[in-house]
Amino acid sequence: MTTLIKLEIVRALRNKKFMFFSVIYPPVLYLIIAGGADSRPIPGMKLDMGLYYMVSMAAFGAMTAVLLGNSERIAKEREKGWVRQLRLTALPGRGYVAAKMGAAATVSLPSILLVMIVAAAVKGVRLEAWQWVTIAATTWLGSFVFAALGVAIGYMATGDAVRPIAMLFYFGLAFLGGLWMPLTILPEWVQNVAEWFPTHAYAALGTAVEAGGAPHLKDMAILAGYLLVFASGAAWLYRKDTRKT
Amino acid sequence: MTTTATTTAIAARGADRAPVVSFRGVGKSYGAVRAVADLDLELYPGETVALLGPNGAGKSSTLDLLLGLRSPDSGSLSLFGTTPQRAIEQGRVGAMLQSGGLMEGVKVKELVGLARDLHPRAYPLDRIMATAGITDIADRMVDKLSGGQEQRVRFALATAGANDLIVLDEPTTGMDVSARQTFWGAMRQQAEQGRTVLFATHYLEEADEIADRVIVLHRGRVLADGTAAEIKARAGARRVSFDLEGPIDRDALHGLPFLTALEISGGGRGDGSRHTVRIQSQDADATVHALYGLGAYPHHLEVSGLGLEQAFIALTTASDVTPATAEEAAR
Repeated sequence: MTTLIKLEIVRALRNKKFMFFSVIYPPVLYLIIAGGADSRPIPGMKLDMGLYYMVSMAAFGAMTAVLLGNSERIAKEREKGWVRQLRLTALPGRGYVAAKMGAAATVSLPSILLVMIVAAAVKGVRLEAWQWVTIAATTWLGSFVFAALGVAIGYMATGDAVRPIAMLFYFGLAFLGGLWMPLTILPEWVQNVAEWFPTHAYAALGTAVEAGGAPHLKDMAILAGYLLVFASGAAWLYRKDTRKT
Repeated sequence: MTTTATTTAIAARGADRAPVVSFRGVGKSYGAVRAVADLDLELYPGETVALLGPNGAGKSSTLDLLLGLRSPDSGSLSLFGTTPQRAIEQGRVGAMLQSGGLMEGVKVKELVGLARDLHPRAYPLDRIMATAGITDIADRMVDKLSGGQEQRVRFALATAGANDLIVLDEPTTGMDVSARQTFWGAMRQQAEQGRTVLFATHYLEEADEIADRVIVLHRGRVLADGTAAEIKARAGARRVSFDLEGPIDRDALHGLPFLTALEISGGGRGDGSRHTVRIQSQDADATVHALYGLGAYPHHLEVSGLGLEQAFIALTTASDVTPATAEEAAR
């Protein structure tokens, strides 16, 4: 099982093209969105655009790499029959999901760090050392939730359906989680619903630290709940996959 | 009568040991297509069994069911007395699938290393690589392999540990003649070590040469089950061919004893009185004797054994013409 995790990571690192774009895309998007913003606080929040988008773009970038990357690759592997071959081994379902999440996390870590470096260097974001470390760690750990969702989507859909389905989750979650724009500008009922979205809890981890506090327990609990659901769902789908693809 | 003999032979072979694989009334449909219909099948330790059948006969479906990649709609099946999943987890089954892809973006030796890691009773890496004949491509990326090399890597994955049952679906597809020989050499070693080997194939000569038991599947049922020799005997053991001069009496030829097939060609044109007759007979001696009894004078008389391929075609086409007979034959 550890060999599979190692191999998946090695393989992700060898895929230079995917690695490059996954890592470059979030900081570039950060510069485009937050680049021209001034340092006034966002209405209804203590944070300014530079700070807010640092966390949300790091989160968004990590989600791009792990959700889209995982779902498409897994659907392709199922089509090619590698997963069938793997199911003829003693590998348990959780081993497969763990390996896929490990590989995804390898790609998401550098993209998170790069957004933070760009934020500090270009936008002049200044934080305490513990804040930098905590934001990087929570954003990275939080990305595992979406990696698990990516595995599950890769199993639910086949062939041509994977991309649209993954995109639907990706954009829906990013928008309603407030990764693109602060939710404070949206009607209150949307904010109330969005609070329970994994993406909202995900970004809230980082923004809570930026505001000088610890991540909220509620957000951590929400993410842990989603992780459990997505990962066990993915493991179940892996074992139950008896369709010929 | 052959069926009875076959059954007895198999019962004798496996009487002392519990079956490795057991299918009882297993059925599987995909929509309206009945891929496997009421299949009863038992494999015993140490047997090398070939699964034959035309495309769509249910070979791949049978193997998928056996390996737990699909669940049957009806009936039950067991591997080593347990479920396919459990047997695989215990490292008792190695399989090489036609549809089995390989992990891309890794080296051959890394992939084989993975198979070892996942096998509870793995062999040393060098030994697996050498047996499968892939030592020279150990550092090659899996994505850059030829079809034959890919097959050898799949073989390495299927034999990474001490399996008791090896399942191979069309294993030599894409291999050249020498690779095929090497492959079956390695497979024989596995069989000699007491492993049960089950393989599906299109190449009838492989079944003829390698298998000590041949199962012919047709439309999801067992059409014939026995040694290659028994299968040939079932289909009409011998082929008789000869030429006849002058007008021929077709009805009399059709009336020859032990006939299973008759084909008359030639005649009608300028020298039109010469016909070539090809017969398949279950008792060539009696048929030829009766032929002379008709007062015929056959030229270029040849009596030859039937290849497994002809036997196979004879069996499957006969069942297509008269499904009722096939039902009986299956029993």
